[in-house]
Formats: sequence, C-alpha cells, structure tokens
Amino acid sequence: MSSRLSVRELTWIVARDVNRTLGGGLASMELLRRTFIANGSLDEAGNAGLVAVSRLTPGTNILAYCVGLGWSLHRWAGALAAVAAASLPASLMVCVLTIALVRIQDYSLVRMMLAIGVLVATLLVFASAGSLLRPYVHRSALLRSAIVVVVAVAMLLADVTPVRILLLSAVLGAVIGGSTQTVDATE
Amino acid sequence: MNAFLVYVLLLKAIGSSFAGMGSLPQIQQDFIETRRAITAEQLSQAVLVGRSTPGPIGAYVVAVGYLAAGWPGAIAAWLAMVTPALAAVPLFVLMQRWLHLPRVRAAVDAVVIASAILLLASGVRMAADAWQQLSIAFL
Repeated sequence: MSSRLSVRELTWIVARDVNRTLGGGLASMELLRRTFIANGSLDEAGNAGLVAVSRLTPGTNILAYCVGLGWSLHRWAGALAAVAAASLPASLMVCVLTIALVRIQDYSLVRMMLAIGVLVATLLVFASAGSLLRPYVHRSALLRSAIVVVVAVAMLLADVTPVRILLLSAVLGAVIGGSTQTVDATE
Repeated sequence: MNAFLVYVLLLKAIGSSFAGMGSLPQIQQDFIETRRAITAEQLSQAVLVGRSTPGPIGAYVVAVGYLAAGWPGAIAAWLAMVTPALAAVPLFVLMQRWLHLPRVRAAVDAVVIASAILLLASGVRMAADAWQQLSIAFL
C-alpha cells in the first residue's frame, strides 16, 4: 500500500466516513474501502487483509480496521490518528445523548419511548449475534459449530462467567480442530 | 466506582469479545450483578444510545462509563474501547505466522461462535427488562 495521503488527510477521511454511518462497522468499512481504493492508498487484497485482522482483533471491529489502515499507511502515527478519528466524535455524541437521557428519563412518556427504543435495540443485538454466526452455518462445518454452540449454551446455563466460556470455547475449538469458517472474510 | 476500575472492567469485557456488542454479557456480569455500579435499565439505555449514534457500535461503553463514574468514567471507557484495537498491529504479524495453522484458526472460530451465543443471551435479558419497563410505563 502506498502512503501518499498525509496523516491529517487520513484522520479527516476516517473521521468523516466512520462517524456518519449508522448500522455498524461493515457499513463504515465499505465507505473507507471505496474512499481509499479510489485515492490509490489501498487495494482489494490489502482491504481483505484488514477485514480479516479486524475480525480477529478483540473489541470493536471497525476500530481495529482503522488501526490496521492507519498503521499500513503511516505506522504508529497513522494508527493512533485513525483510531482517535474513528472513536472520539462518536464517543462525544454518546456522552451528550446520555446526559440528555439522564435528565429527561423520569417522565412516563419518555420512559415508554425508551422502553420501545430498547426493544428495537434488542432486535439489533440479535442481528449482531446472527451476523457473527452466519459464516459458520454451512454444511461442511455444521457439526463442529453445533458442538461449540451446545457446549457454550451448557456453560451459560451452568452460570459459568463469560470470560471462562470464551476461554473454554477456544480450548474446545483447538481440540476439535479444523476451521469452521469457509466464507470469505470480506463478505 | 472509580475511573481506573471502570477502565479495567471494560478492558476485560471488550478484550474478550469479537464485536462491538460482544462485550455486553461481561458488562452485565461486572457492572450490574457483581459491582451494582449501574442498573439493568441504565445498561439498556446505554445500548440504546450507542445504537442511535453514528459511528462504532461499541461506543455504547462510553455511556456505561459515564453512568458508572461520570466524565472520568467516560474517558476511562473510551480508553478501554481503543486499547484492544491497537492489538491489530501485532496481529498483522502474528496472522502471517500462525493463522494458517488449522487448530489456531479453529480456536478463534470457536471463540467467535461462543461470543455470539453470549450476545443472544444478553439480548434476551435486555428484551425482558425493556418489556417490564414498558409495562410499568403503561400502568
């Protein structure tokens, strides 16, 4: 990947493209992919690598994507600038909205609207879980995926803590062996 | 709750998840059940705020930090959100070396599947809480 863009230009593009999308990191990644491929700073293979790494990095995928993008263009300066540009504006908006919500939440109409909003947000949580599971639901990997699901559910019902469930699942996955994912990471 | 503890707990939750909302189960466990720093209703509101705002979905943790410890908590939460993302750089190097090994790849896949199951369970708890709030508001 070339680094014709300055750190300032990189920061501006990341802030603009990430902080104007609703609906998750995939939409932001698509905007960034189009922008950076159009200006010659990224190619399709480089984008696929960034998407794969972002899926494997703990935490928010789009932030890992931006770190990888920034690092590939300007090493640590680019990585730090990109992650700040991607996260600071949204974080400030979240704070402002939270403060407003805390002040008006005692009104019954507001509480009713909030409850409805949370129900809608719950659907989005289910959608997030579905998008995580989708690459693993195909015939060649169904048995291995089902074993992991059954064991995870059993641990959940046995009140095992989330971190332990994830660690034990990693061990289980390594023991079962063979990748359960065949769908391309860029999908 | 002090800001450092907010940072540590959120870093644990975010660092053990593989999606913006994947940290929700651990946050429920630490902030509501174990420490009682926020209520279930507040966590639902934080998720709602996070989903209503443009940008990373994981930014809802900033609202969690603010509700638990004010502005210092919000700053600590932002730091906890960006810290794991910086792991993407060494992962570039590690991925080239280790990810082609089937067992390593299978372990990562299993973690992603388990985090989706945990997310579904959190969604069920959120829906039950929202339904209860809606009933109270109607009454």
